[in-house]
Amino acid sequence: MNMRNLYVNNTLIALLLFTIFVGCKKEKQVVFGVNKQVLYEDKAKKTKRKSDAEYISILYTNLYQTPISPSQLYKTQNILFSIGDRNVATELVLSNYFNTTGLKIPPNTVMRSNVDSFIESSYKRFFLRYPSEGEKTFFRNYINNNPSITVELVYTSFSTADEYQYY
Amino acid sequence: MNRKDFFKKAGATAAGGVILPYILPSGRLFARTNSAKAEYVINVMFAGGVRQQESVMGRYLDDSQGVSGAAGNIMPNLFKGGFPSKKIVFGTDPAAGTRGSEPIPRILSSSFEETGTVFKEMQAASAGHFVGLNSLITGNPGYSQGLKVRPKYPTIFEYLRKHAGFKATDCWFICNTLGNSYPLLNSSNNPDYGLQYGGNMLVAPYTFSGVGREILANAKPYSTAELSPMYFMKNFLDESFGLPADKMSSIKNTEEERTQIKEFIRSIFQRQTSGQIVAPPVTDNGDAVNVSYAAEVLRYFKPKFLTLNLGAVDGCHSNFTGYLRSLHRADHAIGWLWNYIQNSIPEMSGKTIMIVAPECGRNLVPNPILDENDWYAFDHSDANAMRVWGTMVGKNVPNLSIGSESNKVGRLTDIVPTIADIFGIYDDVMASPYIDPMAKSLYQRM
Repeated sequence: MNMRNLYVNNTLIALLLFTIFVGCKKEKQVVFGVNKQVLYEDKAKKTKRKSDAEYISILYTNLYQTPISPSQLYKTQNILFSIGDRNVATELVLSNYFNTTGLKIPPNTVMRSNVDSFIESSYKRFFLRYPSEGEKTFFRNYINNNPSITVELVYTSFSTADEYQYY
Repeated sequence: MNRKDFFKKAGATAAGGVILPYILPSGRLFARTNSAKAEYVINVMFAGGVRQQESVMGRYLDDSQGVSGAAGNIMPNLFKGGFPSKKIVFGTDPAAGTRGSEPIPRILSSSFEETGTVFKEMQAASAGHFVGLNSLITGNPGYSQGLKVRPKYPTIFEYLRKHAGFKATDCWFICNTLGNSYPLLNSSNNPDYGLQYGGNMLVAPYTFSGVGREILANAKPYSTAELSPMYFMKNFLDESFGLPADKMSSIKNTEEERTQIKEFIRSIFQRQTSGQIVAPPVTDNGDAVNVSYAAEVLRYFKPKFLTLNLGAVDGCHSNFTGYLRSLHRADHAIGWLWNYIQNSIPEMSGKTIMIVAPECGRNLVPNPILDENDWYAFDHSDANAMRVWGTMVGKNVPNLSIGSESNKVGRLTDIVPTIADIFGIYDDVMASPYIDPMAKSLYQRM
């Protein structure tokens, strides 16, 4: 082996070692993700009207935290249809619900102890969104200035509101 | 502000205060385009399909089953003439003997025909129920009317609310069934009128049934004052959401009216419990029950306008005997209702007009179905099914008999213009592009 070949071989070995040491690195553990975020509806995007069956099911589940039975749903649906003014029918059905046991609603003392929190939870519970500052202010003032306001009245107003009929 | 300005502004304010409360929903200052003929109207849609032969013509079994010598009148409260003398099956059941052999005694001392006006031969808009009912309530034949949707053309409720300024609780539709799109007849979806002018509606036999009691009767009784904060909050929420008028899904009552309707519904359940519901002496079918609740609505609200529909005679598709019984009972119930208004509702007595007309007739030729008496049943699809009668009675209605089998006078689409005429908004309604161009007030056909 002449000197020239020895030189070429050494150069190749050096290049190979250089490539191994420089090219191979320990793989980094990278985890991609997003922060947890709860999504709420925007009232402007609620354009589809709930069917009677959807409305009754959602309302019943909301108030009792348990699904309505199919026969009860059918009967309630027909009763709503049998009264021309739907608001009257809904208010009567609601008033009937509020006269039963088993409702899962906060007591009036809870509403009075933290009105802001109650307003926010009511908007989330019925409208699946946060109240705007204007809405919050209206309800805060109205509840604080009117001792006769009860959770039942507030929930009835939300349940019969136009926004609750839409999704 | 100088003295002149002060008087000018004070004068304008006073004038505005006087005028503004009278601006009608239609935008007019004054409702009346002709003088009103009565204060209250009851419109009875004597529906289900009624053959001329067994009703106004008093032919009983003569023209239907070929039983000679069996002619006679089985609708003694509406038409004059004695009961048939043989094969009586339309009455109540005696303790012993033939079923239905005891005719129900006439309630009215004089029939509608003897005191009011009868149009003996009118033109129906259709041989079908829904189009027929639509023509009675919209004044338009509505040939392209679909099922399961509100009427395309404005109903009489909307005309009255828009042009005469009636409140929602001044206008009622007492419906006999949840089926067949009938509960949608209290308002059209017409963009010029629609739900904002719709009348109140109850499917009374269902609302006040056992199911209704289960779902509604336990509701808490609230006064208007107690509910006022709830409505205040709801109004705020609704304003915030801003639902456009064309998205309305229900008629609208005022807060006070809503409370009144709820109190009425609650009171009916209480009256049921205490056995106080007013009812015709014979209340053994759905029509009589519907008439009974119509009377309760009249007693409670004294509405200016009420429409009710019947439907039991449609059993004629398969049971002719049942049809005769239903026809006799419908006459009985309507006679009772008229009597009840005159004797038990002083506010309406002597100030009311009642209009009665079927929505369509029935066939000349029977179908092959036989009933318990071996009598043939009748459907409704031929030219005979386009033949109907109409009658009206009450304040200032003359005693006339108009038209005959060979001389057709009047159309079912005349009923809406007639009601408009009675309430003094005839020109307004006839100027609407939605009324049958051939229709006119029945007063103009007298």
